[in-house]
Amino acid sequence: MQGIVIIVLVLIAAAAVAGYYFIAAPPPCPSGSKCIAIVTDVNGRGDLAFNDMAFAGADAAAKDFGVKVVELISRKDSDYVPNLETAAKDPNIILVVAVGFLLADALNATAHKYPDKNFMIIDYPNLNFGPNVMGIVYEEHKGSAIVGAIAALAAAHYGYARIGAVLGMEIPLLYKFEIGYKWGADWALKWYQAKFSKTAPVIGDTPINERVLSTYTGSFSDIVKGYEAAKPMYERGALAVYNVAGQCGLGVAQAVKEIAEAKGLTMGPPFWIGVDADQDWYVPGFTLVSAMKRVDKGVYLAAQLAVQGTFRQVVAETGGTVVLGMGTTVSGAPAEGISVSTLDDLDLFIQMGVKAKELTGKDVLPMSADEIKSKVAAMRNALPSWIWDAAKELEEGIKNGQIEVPMVMTEEDLAKWRAIVGTG
Amino acid sequence: MRSPLAASFRPIVESGVAVSIGIVAGGLLMLAFGYNPIRAYVALFTGAFGSVAGILESLAFATPLMASAVTFAVGVRASLFNIGAEGQAYVGAIGAIIVGGTVLFPPGVHPVAATIFAMCLGAAWALPAAILKVWRGVHEVVSTIMLNWIAFWLATYLIRTYLGEPGRAERAIPALPTARYPVIGETLTAIIFVTVCFCLLVTILLWRTGIGFELRLVGDNPEAAKYAGASGRRAILVSFLVGGLAAGLAGATQILGRPPSWTLYATLGNVLNLGFDGIAVALIGRNHPIGGIFAAIFYGGLLHGGRFMEFQVGVASELVEAINGIIVIALAIPEIVPILRRMWVRL
Repeated sequence: MQGIVIIVLVLIAAAAVAGYYFIAAPPPCPSGSKCIAIVTDVNGRGDLAFNDMAFAGADAAAKDFGVKVVELISRKDSDYVPNLETAAKDPNIILVVAVGFLLADALNATAHKYPDKNFMIIDYPNLNFGPNVMGIVYEEHKGSAIVGAIAALAAAHYGYARIGAVLGMEIPLLYKFEIGYKWGADWALKWYQAKFSKTAPVIGDTPINERVLSTYTGSFSDIVKGYEAAKPMYERGALAVYNVAGQCGLGVAQAVKEIAEAKGLTMGPPFWIGVDADQDWYVPGFTLVSAMKRVDKGVYLAAQLAVQGTFRQVVAETGGTVVLGMGTTVSGAPAEGISVSTLDDLDLFIQMGVKAKELTGKDVLPMSADEIKSKVAAMRNALPSWIWDAAKELEEGIKNGQIEVPMVMTEEDLAKWRAIVGTG
Repeated sequence: MRSPLAASFRPIVESGVAVSIGIVAGGLLMLAFGYNPIRAYVALFTGAFGSVAGILESLAFATPLMASAVTFAVGVRASLFNIGAEGQAYVGAIGAIIVGGTVLFPPGVHPVAATIFAMCLGAAWALPAAILKVWRGVHEVVSTIMLNWIAFWLATYLIRTYLGEPGRAERAIPALPTARYPVIGETLTAIIFVTVCFCLLVTILLWRTGIGFELRLVGDNPEAAKYAGASGRRAILVSFLVGGLAAGLAGATQILGRPPSWTLYATLGNVLNLGFDGIAVALIGRNHPIGGIFAAIFYGGLLHGGRFMEFQVGVASELVEAINGIIVIALAIPEIVPILRRMWVRL
């Protein structure tokens, strides 16, 4: 017994000496520096979408404004409050970012407790959270409309009868996606009629309630459910299915991959459509396009305002909630957050995949970066240019305010708009 | 070393050696990854216990574990390997939401009613495993694991349907303000006193009552117990039910006694692993409800303090978990060795 105690004491002493002489890296936020703290939800890093994009935005801000980024990963939901508080207490931190609506309750409590600290939350409006909180929300309905239009026109081009969408939990946020997507498809078919003076082939003859299929899976995480919802859509002749269900929606990609393997295809149709991040690299050649929601730009903007010292002023001007979308501005300067993926966007997100591999050890990229890019480019070139022209026209119309996409957030509006653009 | 005094010190010395081994091993791991272990441990312990706010938060993390540790400890005392606290805690949390969130009671009565209901639901969830064990000889590891999963999906279903809050898909309806325990500071509430009292009551039950004696006798030596006329069935049943009450309370602490959400997340993320962490806490606390209180405070300190290793020293959060795991395993060794030895003998 005593022998063990002595051995242990010696070991402790040895470790102490080793530790003392060990010159470790400086702390993430040394005193005297300016820092931004990122508090994640329980999904943590390596999700290739939400949380990773927030870090990408913080890293860009760090590079451009000379701030440092400190991360606090939440492992349990009960970590939200202590993580936010830990960041709020540090005098060097100029901005605390809460990534996602899961942190809303915790942020509300912490922001009131630390009125001198600046806070930002993604995807949640500032509902009396205080003058020190910026809520950043996105115009997802606009991005959904454009991908809906592209999908409907591609269906007309390839002679498919339907398109589809797999959605997650039935929450008001997702009504925006559903109606935006259906509205975009409707707009596109009218555009086709006007342009070519004839009904769009096949999909144009499909009854309106059958044209855009949509299913709520009730889950954002269950990939099997996403797969099971997408499978019958492809069987019923859907050209492309839109993923509006986070991880669950990756089941849609799984369904496409299976069809591709069974038929020995190297390129769609069929396709799927990515969401939030640029997911074109995921099953490249079969991802028609992605409706991007740039969480990184929201974080970058908040960091910029905090560094410039105009954070509170903008919060006061906007009533606490900043809307990022298409053609949106903050204090007169353009500040956008919704766009449709382009080839240039791929680089950033392939980089994210490389980083995710470093963090999690899992190889997420299906092939080399160059191969991905050439596959995506080949797929895009296979589509006629008038599809991209239509998308451009819709985008510009939305930006200059001539075209208005319905923003549906209530059940009454949902019923009203389903009657117009299809129940699917 | 033969005197009674020395004998009672022995567990403390053993635990002290174990914690040192764990800390040194964790430190070596940090050195291997290029972090300064001294600074990291200073950040861990001052973060967890170096300020009033830190202590309160560590206690908030400790509270549910004090209760869920009792489930495993009472099981071991009756020679059971009861790992059902996890599912019973989910069910307890659901019970707390049902009474705390949907039923109207006057203040003062409401938290008591909700807590008791949650505990009873936890005990009810333990009952099938107890019955299967006593009358059919089904091993408790098998039945409790299955019940854990049933509880997980049942709770998930209820949150998304009957107990869901419209427009807030991420969580269930919160406990009404009348059902909430008063906040002491940070996220610690007065439910810690209820939990500590519960642990003391279980201690009294085990060491000061006839049924407790019977339970421990069955655990120590089932053959001798049978010879002495002790009812093994009754002891096992009591062990399961007390364990269920404890786990139900663990679940309730996160609903009725944990700001700011006062409810269950749809992922169950705020009650997930309470039962399994409780096993570690029970082992550290030498399967004694009072030992469990101190072990839970230590464990809660690791849960809360870990974030400071990440925040102040930059230790990657996955490594923080690994270091905490090493310390916990080292601490559990003195208690787990005899359990494994006993299982080996039984085989």
